[in-house]
Amino acid sequence: MLRFALPVQAKADITAPPAWVSGLQRNDPKTVRLLYKEHFTAVKHYVLKNSGTSSDAEDIFQEALTVLWLKVKEGSVQETSEPGAFLFRVAKYKWLDVVRSAAHKHMRVLHDDRQTDVRAEVQDDTEEKLARLREVYAKLDDKCRQVLDQFYFERKDLATIAAGMGVEEESIRTIKYRCMMKLRASRKTIAGDEYMDEA
Amino acid sequence: MSALDKPTFERIEAYVLGRLSADERIAFEQRLVTDAALRAEVELERENIMAIELGGLQRVLEQVRGEQVIDQERGGSWISYLKYAAVVAVLFGAALWFIARPNANERVYAAHFVPDPGLPVAMSASDDHAFHDAMVAYKLGDHDEAITKWSALLKEKPSSDTLRYYIGCAELNAGRSDRAVAMLMSVADRSGSAFAAKARWYAFLALVRNGDVAAARAVPFAEDHPYAIKAKAVIAELE
Repeated sequence: MLRFALPVQAKADITAPPAWVSGLQRNDPKTVRLLYKEHFTAVKHYVLKNSGTSSDAEDIFQEALTVLWLKVKEGSVQETSEPGAFLFRVAKYKWLDVVRSAAHKHMRVLHDDRQTDVRAEVQDDTEEKLARLREVYAKLDDKCRQVLDQFYFERKDLATIAAGMGVEEESIRTIKYRCMMKLRASRKTIAGDEYMDEA
Repeated sequence: MSALDKPTFERIEAYVLGRLSADERIAFEQRLVTDAALRAEVELERENIMAIELGGLQRVLEQVRGEQVIDQERGGSWISYLKYAAVVAVLFGAALWFIARPNANERVYAAHFVPDPGLPVAMSASDDHAFHDAMVAYKLGDHDEAITKWSALLKEKPSSDTLRYYIGCAELNAGRSDRAVAMLMSVADRSGSAFAAKARWYAFLALVRNGDVAAARAVPFAEDHPYAIKAKAVIAELE
């Protein structure tokens, strides 16, 4: 079978990232859905074979996909690597950690060939950073999340967000600014910096 | 901590989101070299934006998970109903099948048709994101969306055999074999195309499905090509 053909007769740009990388970079839900569809089954199979449940597999796969997303955002993922292989390695590593935890000592593990490169892939500051980012997001109230999510995650422009919420574009711009300043203030306070005022 | 005014915040935001022009970016980065406070603001804003994006990603992941649960529940409800309705279902199904059973052409088509899985989007590299967006839709079964996107590209590149082939495949997968034949045959005639052989095979199957066996026989397979052998077997089944 033909593995790859240029889509049109245009010249290929060999420096362009693979579609799954650019999809994750722009937070494309379809790319997330496709990665889920194509690679979840392998992880589920592994977790079920190793004393886990479907729900465990979902949790582990979501964590692995989040790690992949972060690596792409940071530009530290090998673009030549196969996303399925990466997701499986990370999910396997994480599941082995679960299995080895005190609560799961009774579990039987069929495969345990974790390698140091996987440890390096997952055990840098990724976990710590994800926890920190989740903590930051938790500080946002619903109104801020509604606006910021549309602007930064969905990449909608201000006019589109304003039209959807039935307000002026300038109002959205101000809400966005104020929400981001609240976030900045809370983080500066946590960091021990003296917070004086918000613009 | 000093306040961060709106223009400065938005300047940093534009830098982090890659929305500055090349000249603006170079000037901004020159400032970053000497301005430690600005560097700190950039890093803080970058991480805050990433936190919001992560929140969005978790939402999408939960949506996808929810979709899977719904699919599983739908499957489960059928199992419980089958326990009570098996006999009725079998009898009703048999009667329905007898009334609406597919004709011989459709049965043979269904027996031999395996949809083209599409190009491996995950590994491909190209500057044409529009093409790959459509390929993602194709692989998810959103054939009409894929056709719409590829058709727009075809207007710019009317001679592209790749676009013609995959539009034909999407039409066939969507059950519109008439349209599929027209698109696939325009590729089948191109001896130099990497898609020609597959296009002939799918055009052949589409013609079989349409009941146009004479036209199917006339599809110009290369002699002794595996598809030619398969096509002969299909014709034999029909006869």
